[in-house]
Amino acid sequence: MSITKETLEQHLKDPAIFCCRRQKGLVISAADLEDPSLFDDMEEAGLLKLSDDGLKIEQVIGSTLVCDVEALTPITKDMVDKVNEVTEIASKEADKGEEGSAPAEGKTDAPAGPIPQVKAVQGGNGMIHIEIGKAEKLEHLSMDIPVFSGPGAAAPVCTGGETAGAADSSAVPDEEKAGEKKVIRTLIKKHIRITDAEIGTETSIKDGKITIDKNIIEKALKEDPLCKKIELDVIKPDNRHIYTETIMDICPIATKVEGELGSGVTKVADGVVFMLTGVDEDGVQIHEFGSSEGYLDEKMYFGHPGCADENDIIIRCNVVIEKKTGMTRPGPFAAHKCQDYIIQAVRDELKKYDGEVVREEVCEDVRRPGNPRVVLVKEIMGQGAMHDNVICPTEPCGILGGQKNVDCGNVPIILTPNQVRDGSIHALTCIGPATKEMTRHYIREPLVEGLAADSEMDLVGVVFVGSPQVNDEKMWVSERLGSLLESLDIDGCIITTEGFGNNHIDFIQHIGQAGKRGIPVVGVSFCAYQGQLVVGNKYADAMIEENMDKGGFENNVAGCSCVTKEVAARAIQMLKNKMAGVEIKPAPKKWDNEVVNNNNRLLGLPDTELLDSGTMH
Amino acid sequence: MKLTTVEGMQSEIFVPVTPVPVFTELKKPLSECKVAFITAGGIHKKSQTPFNTSGDYSYRTIEFDTPSSELMVTHGGFDNSDINKDVNAMFPIDRLHELVAEGFIGSLPKETYTFMGGGGNVEKFKEETGPEIARKLKAQGVDIVLCTGGCGTCHRSATIVTRCCEAAGMSCCVIAALPPIARQQGAPRITAPHVPIGSNAGEPNNIPMQTAIVKESLEWVRDCPGYNQIKVLPYEYRHNV
Repeated sequence: MSITKETLEQHLKDPAIFCCRRQKGLVISAADLEDPSLFDDMEEAGLLKLSDDGLKIEQVIGSTLVCDVEALTPITKDMVDKVNEVTEIASKEADKGEEGSAPAEGKTDAPAGPIPQVKAVQGGNGMIHIEIGKAEKLEHLSMDIPVFSGPGAAAPVCTGGETAGAADSSAVPDEEKAGEKKVIRTLIKKHIRITDAEIGTETSIKDGKITIDKNIIEKALKEDPLCKKIELDVIKPDNRHIYTETIMDICPIATKVEGELGSGVTKVADGVVFMLTGVDEDGVQIHEFGSSEGYLDEKMYFGHPGCADENDIIIRCNVVIEKKTGMTRPGPFAAHKCQDYIIQAVRDELKKYDGEVVREEVCEDVRRPGNPRVVLVKEIMGQGAMHDNVICPTEPCGILGGQKNVDCGNVPIILTPNQVRDGSIHALTCIGPATKEMTRHYIREPLVEGLAADSEMDLVGVVFVGSPQVNDEKMWVSERLGSLLESLDIDGCIITTEGFGNNHIDFIQHIGQAGKRGIPVVGVSFCAYQGQLVVGNKYADAMIEENMDKGGFENNVAGCSCVTKEVAARAIQMLKNKMAGVEIKPAPKKWDNEVVNNNNRLLGLPDTELLDSGTMH
Repeated sequence: MKLTTVEGMQSEIFVPVTPVPVFTELKKPLSECKVAFITAGGIHKKSQTPFNTSGDYSYRTIEFDTPSSELMVTHGGFDNSDINKDVNAMFPIDRLHELVAEGFIGSLPKETYTFMGGGGNVEKFKEETGPEIARKLKAQGVDIVLCTGGCGTCHRSATIVTRCCEAAGMSCCVIAALPPIARQQGAPRITAPHVPIGSNAGEPNNIPMQTAIVKESLEWVRDCPGYNQIKVLPYEYRHNV
């Protein structure tokens, strides 16, 4: 594979290696050379052996070959008619950088301090000027990256380590102090104490007790003919060692009492969740990549964001759907729809119920103009069957009124942090038990909470983008995301995905879309052993692992390997580092939980303890 | 606003390496070749034990005289409805018999091997399942192996097993719905029809499309100039789930 002129410019100091056999008399250009970013892998694979007397790219461009040279062989000085004078090219490159950055106000010279000496200063022309005085592998690199600056965003965006002084306050616009909090809208979540639940003869909430009329089942079944049977029961915290069919979803009971999703007042039942489980008429579990049937205490990671908490009362809705519909779109959806009919009856009671407010959670959609603008991108599944999500239903975590992202063509959809925190996503929950994000996950997503609360950044929004089934569509969706990220003028983003495998194609593509626009990006996923990336690119150099299984497998414990508070904290810190130009060391060639824990320790987080599920597929 | 930074953090996920090339040139006309078809798409006989959908490195033996009506899919990584309609969408066994009758290819081996590559254990497929399938196919005198993936990690497992077959001296091609994975994982040859995962070998019950995909993949085995080259096939099918 030959390289482009852009790649060439990034790799002037790297070894010059031909991608294919080249003949005597050739004048060497970018098209003849192999991409240096592949050299590590090629060396590892035994394809390439670099030599100390090999010339650098900048030394051979424009030179003429005096003999035939094989592919993947280092070019040495006896093979070419002339070797370019290196310093000349290097300084020319630096000049080019200087010109581009013209009136960069906050710019200072790199101090001769400890390595790496990196400065990133936003100039008045809307460019970030990055100058690396000295670093491990780079020297004298200087470049300008556009930050798509708009009015009011001209403040210095970031400074790193030793060069904090470079953030000259003179660049702050007069009309606002950088980072000052502006509240756009407020959402109040009133958590109402629930202490008991039972299946009885009326649907009501009285004195902290939810009662559901058992006759509601008959009505719920009418919601969808594919749903053949529903059973309701209550599982108390002291009775968790109970058999369950595969856990399809955990859904909070929440309802709007004022305003729309993302604003006004929402009541959330505290201490109780719905759990949807099910099989088809042949007894086949309704699951995709592995199922979690078994004893509940062994099959759910209690306390994780998508799961029930230790002390939650669980109202179990166990469904039987028409045979052979489990792996198609309508089957699992029927189960969710029928459960939602029952939850709605409870929501209606919750609206009226004037019980004890355990906690009043004030959620704000805020902007902090002048701070680095960031978005959170959440790749969700969009491939049919259970690989689907309902977006923005009428009721929090509901179904009615929402649109399925498969039907929306999986295009990126932007929500405010408050909308996400108010249950805008009802997950039809795909993939394996451990890596899927269930409905409850979104209403308390640690990355949304973490970014929204971070006073050093300006969270612009949360983008949901579906992962389609077809490769071409993955690319198409990803390009749309790229344009969106560009037009949002962001300074950084975090991209997450649930599950692993084919969705990693678009996940990596999304990272590339941000990366090639010069937007610092951090990727978050389960990969570990079983989910190791199937594709990669050079922008995927700041990645956070979600795995919590000992063998690095997708295990059968619902919600085990997902975005936790610790994952979120590491991802946010890594993004700050990347935006500030602080080096992130490259990942080792194999999954190693010690790397995760070293990062945890740097941030004062507890170790990531791996669950020994015995999974060894 | 100054960003708080922390020195010394390390990226936690590695980006895959490009494996060593493996390539066996086809030295016979297609009409004289014995052609096998393997799949990572979870196809098995109805009478056989289903695959474990969360990861399974075992394989099933399918005699080529098995009627397609006796076959089914167990796979959790994609919508199964296309294969439920027509197993040839993943494992085009009927098309292969037609190509033998037509004289396009020489013959089929007595049996082939199928697996469920979703979440496949890389080491197990590389060290055990792949070499074993390759050995069994080679022992039957197979010249060409075609392979479909299913989901994303299926394409990885499919590619690993296909590479084992190529290394054992057979000329192979992965028919990929997700060509970037087959490419990155080092498939010897790749054809890429525009199809969704779950109908990797073409639209269910669309015999002309399935035939064309198999034929052009065989031609690519013959014509592909070198390792890891992709040929995009002009067949498009959209599965409206």
